[in-house]
Amino acid sequence: MSNFMKLIWNEQIKLYAKKATWVMFAVILVIAIGGGLITKFFGTESDFKEYGDNWQTELQAENEQLMAEMADDEFAGFTNEFIIAENNYHLENNIKPQPYDGWEYVLDNSFLTSVISLFTIIVAAGIISNEFKWGTIKLLLIRPISRTKILFSKYVSVLIFALTLLVFLLLSSWLVGALLFGLNGLNPMVVQDMMPGYAHNDVLGEIAKSYGFSIVTLVMMATFAFMISAIFRSSGMAIGLAIFLMMAGNTIVAFLSQYEWSKFILFANTNLEQYTNGMEPTIPGMSMTFSIIVLLVYFAIFIGAAWAAFTKRDVAGN
Amino acid sequence: MSKPAMQLVNLKKTIGNKPIIKGLDFEIRAGEVFGFLGPNGAGKTTTIRMMVGLIDITEGDVLIEGKSIKTDFKGAIQHVGAIVENPEMYPFLSGWKNLKQYARMVEGVTDERIKEVVSLVGLEKAIHEKAGRYSLGMRQRLGIAQALLHGPSILILDEPTNGLDPSGIREIRKYIRNLAEKENVAVIVSSHLLTEIELMCDRIGVIKNGELIAIEEVQTVEHEEALKEVYIEVEPMETAKVYLDSHLENGVGVGSKELSMSVKREEIPQILKNLMEQGISIYGVRVLQATLEDKFFDLIGENSIE
Repeated sequence: MSNFMKLIWNEQIKLYAKKATWVMFAVILVIAIGGGLITKFFGTESDFKEYGDNWQTELQAENEQLMAEMADDEFAGFTNEFIIAENNYHLENNIKPQPYDGWEYVLDNSFLTSVISLFTIIVAAGIISNEFKWGTIKLLLIRPISRTKILFSKYVSVLIFALTLLVFLLLSSWLVGALLFGLNGLNPMVVQDMMPGYAHNDVLGEIAKSYGFSIVTLVMMATFAFMISAIFRSSGMAIGLAIFLMMAGNTIVAFLSQYEWSKFILFANTNLEQYTNGMEPTIPGMSMTFSIIVLLVYFAIFIGAAWAAFTKRDVAGN
Repeated sequence: MSKPAMQLVNLKKTIGNKPIIKGLDFEIRAGEVFGFLGPNGAGKTTTIRMMVGLIDITEGDVLIEGKSIKTDFKGAIQHVGAIVENPEMYPFLSGWKNLKQYARMVEGVTDERIKEVVSLVGLEKAIHEKAGRYSLGMRQRLGIAQALLHGPSILILDEPTNGLDPSGIREIRKYIRNLAEKENVAVIVSSHLLTEIELMCDRIGVIKNGELIAIEEVQTVEHEEALKEVYIEVEPMETAKVYLDSHLENGVGVGSKELSMSVKREEIPQILKNLMEQGISIYGVRVLQATLEDKFFDLIGENSIE
């Protein structure tokens, strides 16, 4: 193994020797199972309905029944309207509806990437500051290895951890989904509510897109926490600041959106999905290329600041 | 005299406007145990941190096996094993896994080598327990094991006997002597406890307020030539004083019951014999050992931090 790989290996050992890390995996598993059970037993009935050969007639009958319900009960209108609209999309485009399956469950669980972001922030915030807290930084930095190498082995370790959590989320969601709902083939097509309108896409592509876009926020916030941890050598501050900004990011952007410069705020750019599916960007005049450049600049600043703080400063009093 | 394993060249550290270390110049030779002695706050730990590159050197340099810690960090530090202040370990890893962490950071440390080092410090029984459950003494041993893994030619130990019981201290002392004498390792031991240092070191550097105020060889063999303070209790004192005054170059001092004189060790029997031949009764003789402790306190004065 090369020198750098051994350093990463060391970091992974330290990470998994702690109970807190295993709790993170357990939390994801519990949410995946719990969410599956809730969907199974409290989900919308029409989602699980299996249609026969003359599904068009079935859908039409369903629509009529829903209309009747709406006439009787004005509160039924909210959900029923959506179901009717979706049914109509199926009828107009001649797509036979398929029951909810494991793939769709994986797709729905993409919101859990924010939980992964949270856990990754916690790990990124601790990976440097804990060495200071334990005093082990002194033993780490007196080896014939440059501080730069040690810093990047820690950063790469954080990314590997995030990736591991992501794969774990995908696998556990898929397994729970497949067991509870079954699978409609290897890569079934799904009808998605695009608000407005509907689209018919293959599920693997949608899963890749949905999880892929969420990785942007994850990496940016983890890098931010990593930087704070390197500068202030305190995990509490890094966790607090990163989580606060992640939660408040969109509000901050909305609050400042009247100013021209608000498009340079990190959080105005982390959601690259805003440029897909013909959606309007948060602030007019922004584009995918613009956002990617802004993100890269932030990334370079975070890494640069972490590097400067870690390699240049004295290690005294720890 | 062997070549220096480590050289401090006009080493200075300034924090803000405050000079912490004010120009240290000394060297440590291979195969010697060098005691770095000074009261708390004198700058021992700051100096050690500069030696291992944990903090920046404001001026001057530290050369390890001829390589500068400033410009050739890797080349210099690979010869060093160290404990800086307390021997801190990952509390959630076993002693063995702690050592594996450090073994992976250098080339060529095999499991056999780790076992060898573990048995050297006598930690075989507890090596697979979590380091968080170790006593301070056990952590100290693990710290020394960690410092020795890669077979360094310079070993830096900050307060190594801290937290050890007397038998542990004796073992570590024996082990440090062994490393220096048999494996030609240069050992730097810092301490504020003089008696500790006196027992295991060949030379002692005394630091106070960031300045080296003395370097002393520890005398293990008494010099025959050195003058000693000798006190003799005699009766009658007057006769003895008159006799001795006429025979000794330096003359004698008169105490309440004793006469004091500065003589060489080899002269003592003859003096006593002559006194007895003069019919003088001798009730007691004592030779004052000027200890390092006296010298230390003379040098340090009060334990003051500027």
